[in-house]
Amino acid sequence: MWSDTILIVFISVCTAFLGEGLTWVMVYRTEKYQKLKTEVEKQSKKLERRKEIHGDSLDKAVKKKIERDEEKLKNNNRDLSLVKMKTMFATGFAFTALLSMFNSIFDGRVVAQLPFTPISWIQGLSHRNLSGDDYTDCSFIFLYILCTMSIRQNIQKLLGFAPSRAASKQGVGLFGPAPGQFK
Amino acid sequence: MSTKTSTIERNGHSAKTSTLREICARAITKSEWEDKEEFLDVIYWSRQVFGIFLGVIWGIVPLKGFLGLVLFAGISCGIVYLYAINFQNVDEDAYGGVWELIKEGFMTSFAGFLVTWIIFYTGLHYDAIMAAKGS
Repeated sequence: MWSDTILIVFISVCTAFLGEGLTWVMVYRTEKYQKLKTEVEKQSKKLERRKEIHGDSLDKAVKKKIERDEEKLKNNNRDLSLVKMKTMFATGFAFTALLSMFNSIFDGRVVAQLPFTPISWIQGLSHRNLSGDDYTDCSFIFLYILCTMSIRQNIQKLLGFAPSRAASKQGVGLFGPAPGQFK
Repeated sequence: MSTKTSTIERNGHSAKTSTLREICARAITKSEWEDKEEFLDVIYWSRQVFGIFLGVIWGIVPLKGFLGLVLFAGISCGIVYLYAINFQNVDEDAYGGVWELIKEGFMTSFAGFLVTWIIFYTGLHYDAIMAAKGS
């Protein structure tokens, strides 16, 4: 049973590198993306420092300054997400097709035995396309997703493509920062 | 692979670069961590390695069931807490509270732990598992 599991890890590593490679070629190395990323990092750190120093202050001027910084950051986050979005759609489409192919190859095949019984709402994923009701049988998609969660994140961090902690905390994304940031 | 952190010294205008070896040396001894990101990176990467290590051990023993999951979470968080607060003696407020330290890299290491646990459990005990299911 080693062969199936090792193969899935290998597929996950390859797809992670392929995905990051494509994204680097089409997004990360572009001047616009790099400029926006630097701006977001700078603003996130500035905003974090300001909140640390003045977070509990009731001064209206300080509050207004922080709100202005948040608004600027929100706009830059949105622009950053838009730059990535088109490429993400294209690579997402390509990888969905790739995943469908692997799914059909491993269809109905038990690739591993789980050392625990997953909770009910995960069983739909861990036992996908498998016959019988032994929920310790593991499907391809479940193991692949776990591998990808671990491998892709680490590859992004290793290669320096992951957003900084300050940027993540301020809620990097298309839909703006998380609400209730300012206490 | 080398992890580099640059700190520009004002006096000499020279860049001080912490190499991977220096960071590892500082990580295993009680040190001052001026760069918070560096310390959080140490926690993150050690956690990934530790998650895989625990996954291998759990798979070899084998440890099964919800107990394995809970033990992993408890040991992983406990060790990070003891390392950061007791051993390195960092100021938790400087990092936004002890929770920020404890959750650093947890989900990714949990995923890595599950993968290694599943792979080693299946690979080493497959015959016994099938025999138990058959009976």
